Amino acid sequence: MAKSSPQTAAQRRRRNNLVAYGFMSPWFIGFLCFSAFPIVYMLTMSLTNRKLTGLSKFLGFKNYVNMAASPTFLNSLKVTLYFTLVMMIVTAIWALFMAMLLNRKQRLNGIFQFFYFVPAVIPTVALAFAFRMIMGADAGVFNYLLTILSGKSVNINWLYDVNTVYFAVFFVTLFTYNTGQMMMIFRSGLNDVPTELYEACEIDGASALRKFRSVTLPILSPVILFNMVMGSISALNGSFALLYPLTEGGPNGATNVLSLLIYKEAFLNYKVGYGCALSVVLFLIAAVFASVLFALSKRYVYYEI
Amino acid sequence: MSRKLIALLLSVLMIAAMAVPVAMAEAQPTVSLTVWNEPNEDPAMNMYLQAEKATGVKVNVTVIPETEYSSKLNQMVASKSDADIMIVWECDLKNFVEANGILKLDDYLAKSSIDQKDFIDAVANLSSGLGATYGLPWCAATEILYYNQDMFDAAGIAYPTNDWTYADFQAAAQKLTQKNADGTTKVYGCTLPNLQTWWAGVGAAGDQVYDPSNGQLVIGDGATKFVTDCAQMVKDGVMPQPSSDTADLFSSGMAAMSWQGSWQIGTYGGNLPFNWDIAVLPKDARQYNTLHTGFYTISSTCKNPDAAWKVIEYLMGPDGQAINSKSSGNPSALKAIAAKGDWKVAAATSIENWDAITKSLECGVFGYTCLPAGVTGNAVNLFQSATLGQIAPKDAVSQAMQYAAETIGY
Repeated sequence: MAKSSPQTAAQRRRRNNLVAYGFMSPWFIGFLCFSAFPIVYMLTMSLTNRKLTGLSKFLGFKNYVNMAASPTFLNSLKVTLYFTLVMMIVTAIWALFMAMLLNRKQRLNGIFQFFYFVPAVIPTVALAFAFRMIMGADAGVFNYLLTILSGKSVNINWLYDVNTVYFAVFFVTLFTYNTGQMMMIFRSGLNDVPTELYEACEIDGASALRKFRSVTLPILSPVILFNMVMGSISALNGSFALLYPLTEGGPNGATNVLSLLIYKEAFLNYKVGYGCALSVVLFLIAAVFASVLFALSKRYVYYEI
Repeated sequence: MSRKLIALLLSVLMIAAMAVPVAMAEAQPTVSLTVWNEPNEDPAMNMYLQAEKATGVKVNVTVIPETEYSSKLNQMVASKSDADIMIVWECDLKNFVEANGILKLDDYLAKSSIDQKDFIDAVANLSSGLGATYGLPWCAATEILYYNQDMFDAAGIAYPTNDWTYADFQAAAQKLTQKNADGTTKVYGCTLPNLQTWWAGVGAAGDQVYDPSNGQLVIGDGATKFVTDCAQMVKDGVMPQPSSDTADLFSSGMAAMSWQGSWQIGTYGGNLPFNWDIAVLPKDARQYNTLHTGFYTISSTCKNPDAAWKVIEYLMGPDGQAINSKSSGNPSALKAIAAKGDWKVAAATSIENWDAITKSLECGVFGYTCLPAGVTGNAVNLFQSATLGQIAPKDAVSQAMQYAAETIGY
């Protein structure tokens, strides 16, 4: 059999590579058009005073300098970090708890799963508007139920009192799509925990808490990492859809997260350039969160039993 | 041969059938018009439909939700989207002029019967700062006091007049408040000011609110005083706390008075289960309320500005303004047309003091509506926080001014 010449083999290799690039090109073109270009454009716009009408003048880093001196931005940064951290932890704990309940072998498990997941499929904005009415001070359902249960007139202003707004907001986050999705992923992760390990623990007389701490958590740690990363991204980017209808950033800026501030600056104050600068900061915060989580994963995540 | 002839004839007929509507469409000019309200369902009260009949220009109305209206129009100007007539808010007019987004109307006005000298003073002042006329006001809505006559009768208090002072208002609000046995409020003396009427109180207390020379928010001692008064009234249970409750306390009989826009008259009509009337907002350091309007403008991307002007000229004429007044309850910004009284909502049979509208227009100014919505919204949030005791009124006013200074003139 005649051997192929090196030139023919090289040509074949080049052709194979071109075919591979050809198959990758749709994704690559989409990435360039819908991800890379907008990000680069946002970075360049953050160096200008672009208004919503399109007028624009180069400012250099003035947007960032003004941002650092703005009490509104500094408050928003503080609120964003606090909100993201707490929301990530609260939703993860609740989702894990619900997943463990669903993982128990009991009758009508399917129906329980359905009802636990139904709130998650309601659009976040609709959910927020519904809870806005439920948490009303004079005519809200919450206060009505508390009045009946306590026998005293209850008029807690859930969303306008700085002492209760965080509780109210984190309560609503338990019903969002992100929490429901976390619950399903945890449930899937729990199914992968080998039952032999639990049997071995029972033989050794381990308590339920010890089994959870020594078997469930370590094996579930990669899933927990994934959910925490997704939870942090959801809190940073998706909090707008929840907080804008629910609190509009109030009371007194207590829930004025960065995503909300970006919307207000760009679309209500027409400062698109400044909004882009804020978006760059939000992007950096998301990157830092993900980096910290991945750094922690080296110590706390077990990929092999 | 005959089959070929029949096929040929059918083809010609088909092409002619397709061409006729195209030719007709080209013969009838068409303009688009953007607005935030749905046109009236009654054809006789639909001013755009009537404009079509009167001018022969087809008007395609595009309704953009009010919450997104300003930002959508700004984006249309930025992207030079095809648009013809845009009804532009006060806060956007100057920005659109700077961005060359709208055309000057002076040449059209010179040949028109619209009497610019007949506009209310506030409109003339707004336009003069732009160097030319770029928009014509579609109406002149104002802010007034609504009051429940039955509650005033029960409390034995004389009805508010157009000369009522702020002290009269405070005293009446105290007397009209009804409490439950446990000390909670059953009926409030007055609702809390809303997004619009906070500024009526601030302006009446003596602050300028809006400085047209530099476009800045100007508030200080007047705002501090008004916010302090409201905070005290909330503490005493005379006004409700700001909350996420969406109920209209006045129309549901849970508040004796309310400061609201004049356009609410059309909403209330004859639907309220009690007798009610209106009055001018009470006078404090001065008589003050904010005028609200939208300006008919022609987009710089309009392909047929003459047709667009024809439609605007009709809408600003006696017929167009009469229909707008009857359907919206808002007076015309042209004094001669407003004097005819078409804006008096027929269904609101309870109202006797229609003079409250004309007197409110006389002392009305374009104030906070000329400022970015983010600035005024932020200020109102701070005022509300002050009424809940979360921040001192003076600090709320100071922070509002600081945020405005960061934002305006960007």
